[in-house]
Amino acid sequence: MNIITRRSIMLGSAAALAATGAQAQVRTKAGTATAPRLPIESGATLRMLRPVKFVQPDEDVFRANAARFKAQTGVEVRVDFVGWEDISQQTAVTANTGAGPDLIMGFNEGPHVYADKLIDMSDVAEYLGQKYGGWQAVAQKYGKRHGTNNWLGLPFGGTAGPLVWRKSAVQAVGYQRPPSDLAGFLDMSKKLKAAGKPAGFALGNAVGDGNGTANWLLWSHGGSLCDEEGKVAINSPNTIRALEYLKELYPTFIPGTIAWGDISNNRAYSANECWVTSNGVSLYFSLKNDPATRAIAEDTEHSELPHGVASSWPSAPLTLNAMVFKHSRYPNAAKAFLQFMLEAEQYEPWLDANLGYWAHPLAAYKDAAVWTSDPKVAVFRDSMNNKFWAGYKGPISEASATATNEYLLVQMFAAVASGQSTPQEAAREAERRARRIFRR
Amino acid sequence: MTEESQSNSATAQPEAMTWDSKQRRVVMLYVPLACFVLILLFPFYWMTVTAFKPNAELYDYNTYNPFWIGSPTLDHLKHLLFGTSYPRWLMTTMGVAVASTFISLLASTLAAYAIQRLRFKGSQYVGLGIYLAYLVPPSILFIPLATIVYQLGLFDTPFALILTFPTFLIPFCTWLLIGYFKSIPYELEECALIDGATRLQILRRITLPLAVPGLISAGIFSFTLSWNEFIYSLAFIQSSEKKTVPVAILTELVTGDVYQWGALMAGSLLGSLPVAVFYSFFVDYYVSSLTGAVKE
Repeated sequence: MNIITRRSIMLGSAAALAATGAQAQVRTKAGTATAPRLPIESGATLRMLRPVKFVQPDEDVFRANAARFKAQTGVEVRVDFVGWEDISQQTAVTANTGAGPDLIMGFNEGPHVYADKLIDMSDVAEYLGQKYGGWQAVAQKYGKRHGTNNWLGLPFGGTAGPLVWRKSAVQAVGYQRPPSDLAGFLDMSKKLKAAGKPAGFALGNAVGDGNGTANWLLWSHGGSLCDEEGKVAINSPNTIRALEYLKELYPTFIPGTIAWGDISNNRAYSANECWVTSNGVSLYFSLKNDPATRAIAEDTEHSELPHGVASSWPSAPLTLNAMVFKHSRYPNAAKAFLQFMLEAEQYEPWLDANLGYWAHPLAAYKDAAVWTSDPKVAVFRDSMNNKFWAGYKGPISEASATATNEYLLVQMFAAVASGQSTPQEAAREAERRARRIFRR
Repeated sequence: MTEESQSNSATAQPEAMTWDSKQRRVVMLYVPLACFVLILLFPFYWMTVTAFKPNAELYDYNTYNPFWIGSPTLDHLKHLLFGTSYPRWLMTTMGVAVASTFISLLASTLAAYAIQRLRFKGSQYVGLGIYLAYLVPPSILFIPLATIVYQLGLFDTPFALILTFPTFLIPFCTWLLIGYFKSIPYELEECALIDGATRLQILRRITLPLAVPGLISAGIFSFTLSWNEFIYSLAFIQSSEKKTVPVAILTELVTGDVYQWGALMAGSLLGSLPVAVFYSFFVDYYVSSLTGAVKE
């Protein structure tokens, strides 16, 4: 799919300018804070792994910022990009062998899984938090070790999956925008199905979309995998209500969503087969940047998924979470590098270059130009301020990561949608699996 | 011609025709063959069609025929060859596959010959042990192997792959060659022994020339397995430019939940060509090795 646009090229050029010394315009208002003392080791060089870019300027600006770090400190940083699905394996190998990159930017719970292999990041996190208006809610959750103020990782950005909907279809069935209550949403979905323009939400083992659907259904009904102490709490009346809601909602979907992966809704939506779904901003930009599908992009809107009984948008953003390994010979250089990359002069151009795909973890970046560049991406701005995380309400741990990786919640919902289990049976089975995972 | 033979020929003729009838050939031969060909070639057809389809046709099956191309485009191929490091990944993959195949064949030939012909005490168990090693899945082995690779200073170098691929290639090739050596008459070697040849001379001048189809078969298998290998290539190589094709195309052409299907399929198609060419050159040897070539 063509994802190189004129805007992308301009942003890439801006990054190149920044790399050669021209100062980019920075809107972020920084406070004052004293940077931690991080004397860089003599002869330091760094290697970093991070997930592959979403758009080309992401990589260009990131590399340009790394080059600026070298210009200022003399530390050469080699950045390698790996596939999103592969970063977990690479992190596992690095952590278990004590070899490879000095720092890895993984996803979500990564630093919590390898906590004993990592360098404490509290000094850098506290400095950045103080200078840039504080860390947002999810950033704090993913960054800190549970129940402490010790930072295991530095969240670098996050993206939530809001409702992506076709204005023409929603309005044709009598709504100005998708209702924010669950009953209204069900009614709209039924009308869309009757009009031949069905909704579709992934219920297959899809890292982003499948987990996103399951989490939304569960949390919007007040359910959770664990309680605050980490005790399994999935088999609850709230979970049963969520499953019963899906039982009614599922028949309104386009057929086949039970087998959908992360890419399936993108294809169905792009082909006018599905008219309401949930996704990151990637779907909108892939439509917008392809002349053949630009009309669909113009008819597309984003909004928060129905909250149900949740006090805020029940969505856990996919979060970039950077960690520095103890095996690094240059820990100060690694910490200094991450700190440098999160400073406004570097971070804001990078944030802008990502066109809204990644939202900032530090509150002060809310004024970045990207959030006013296109009204349709504004909904992503506060992704990192959501009050939900993978494994909610429990502590983030290796067990909660396992539950996510084993698609425990997704499979619970899929079992009911397919008619394989009753809501009660599915909740009991999920409880059995969860107990096994959390007992380890 | 006697009366009996006349009667035989009169009865034999219709039988042969019944057996070899056109309908029978269609049902027993052409239809199953067509099914096999369809099933085996369809993935290649799909890759080819997808590689040359514009995005609009790729995503909309309602408007466009999914099995045909309306307006072919070379954009995906162009992006693959000039917008990524694909030629370099191809060279790396080729180098790793050839080197690991060569090492594996060398080691397997010596191992298989020793187990099959020297018949030392416990040779049967050694053969079984080698086969059991093949059953250990790479997904279990990659972390301990990563530790060894790192301690040898080979992490993130092609040698990490060249030296770890034989861990699954050697058991397979050894097992295959043991079977092939078994089909070569031992009397030939006995004659050579009587003539004063050493074991190495016998191996080089008698056994190996007779075992060429088996070696080619093992070579093709090794090359294909090395070419397609994913998990070690993913775990032991982290630099973008040193990646092999199966890993690299996923890294470069899948950005989050956006799959560049056209370029991905073009990469897969080009990536499968060397293996196909390799097979086409040696198909006769390959078939003869599987059917047992050396006649006593």
